[in-house]
Amino acid sequence: MSDDMEETGCDRFADEVAELALGVLTGRDRAEALSHVESCPRCAEELEQLSRVADTVVQAAPEVEPPMGFEVRLFERMGVADIRPRRRLRPSRWVPAVAAAAAAALAVGLGLSLSSSPAPTVTAQGHQNGVVSANLVESGETVGHVVAFGGARPWMSMMLADSTARGTVNCVVVTDDGVTHHVGTFVARRGYGAWIAPLRVNPEDLRTAEVVSPSGTVIATATLG
Amino acid sequence: MRQSRVAEGELSDEGLLAGMAVGEQAAAVSFTRRYQRRVFGLAYSMTGDAGVAEDVAQEAMIRVWRHAPVFDPRRGSVASWVLTITRNLAIDALRLRRAVPTDPDDFAASVMRSNEHNPEDSVHRGDVRHTVRTALEVLPEEQRRAVVLAAVYGRTALEISEAEGIPLGTAKTRIRTALIRLRAAVEHAEGVDHER
Repeated sequence: MSDDMEETGCDRFADEVAELALGVLTGRDRAEALSHVESCPRCAEELEQLSRVADTVVQAAPEVEPPMGFEVRLFERMGVADIRPRRRLRPSRWVPAVAAAAAAALAVGLGLSLSSSPAPTVTAQGHQNGVVSANLVESGETVGHVVAFGGARPWMSMMLADSTARGTVNCVVVTDDGVTHHVGTFVARRGYGAWIAPLRVNPEDLRTAEVVSPSGTVIATATLG
Repeated sequence: MRQSRVAEGELSDEGLLAGMAVGEQAAAVSFTRRYQRRVFGLAYSMTGDAGVAEDVAQEAMIRVWRHAPVFDPRRGSVASWVLTITRNLAIDALRLRRAVPTDPDDFAASVMRSNEHNPEDSVHRGDVRHTVRTALEVLPEEQRRAVVLAAVYGRTALEISEAEGIPLGTAKTRIRTALIRLRAAVEHAEGVDHER
């Protein structure tokens, strides 16, 4: 990038791109720098790289144990009623509830489409299966996330954000044996969508999950195994 | 692309956020227990006051809980999102209370002290936090102060130039040079990781 910065326009905004990345550029300077970045792919890339680095500085802060009672006070404010002693969360205890809540939210709250399959009844059966997750990637960019939950009634949730997916799309998964399984048909509104559906295969056997257009074009892929 | 095969009992940050997005309390509990030390640690490092830091940390966790449905993974990691929320709240708290923020040298010192574990410890390998802590440590002091004032305390170049008593151009150069050096350190660490 340093060679690129020798160009007159880029050179003029070199300091400002760093300040933009840190979120400390204001007023007219910010507007001018943003205007340049929007028209300059190289400075846009520089901004993206420096922004990621800028974020890491706050991440370097040391961990400090909060004062006694922090959790109790926080959970009271959150309205979290069931405060159990510290322990590792087992997904099987709450994943079915997530699935049920998500299905309800998707159906009535978000106005998003759910699989045409009837939503199965879920119960907290305490199954101990693992959970598999991966980012959905489209043209090298992360555009969403897939989480597959195991158990007696496996589930899959998918979230898309700013994808090129439009309208009705299919969700398919490919298992380790190379077989493609259709999970459901959904609607992505202007590239955004979230849905949840029953999964008819074991999450541990999944190789990929894909968002596929009706014509068969793979829009986004998550590599799960 | 980041991918994870999550073992039983250990969900990814994104998985926990997905649970929080649909109001699942157990996910919120687990997420809180995973992040509270980092969130409180950042707030405390910035404010130097345990009471203010608790207020900031609690508000940050509540905002994460409320805004989990709108988390956008394209814009960065969950950790980055959570800690940026915390940082912004700490800055607001300092301004509102007209409190004196921690000196950037003290913040940097606390960051570097937290690096005093065995650097070869496998836990730290590939951890960007370790890389940045080390990179901050080797930066010239004036560049370290400049980048900490900007990245952590949200100070503009003009504010830094006034606080440090240096020309504006010098402040801008220090900020940019420090950030570029940090990037080089992160890229080098990532390259080493890929070779492993």
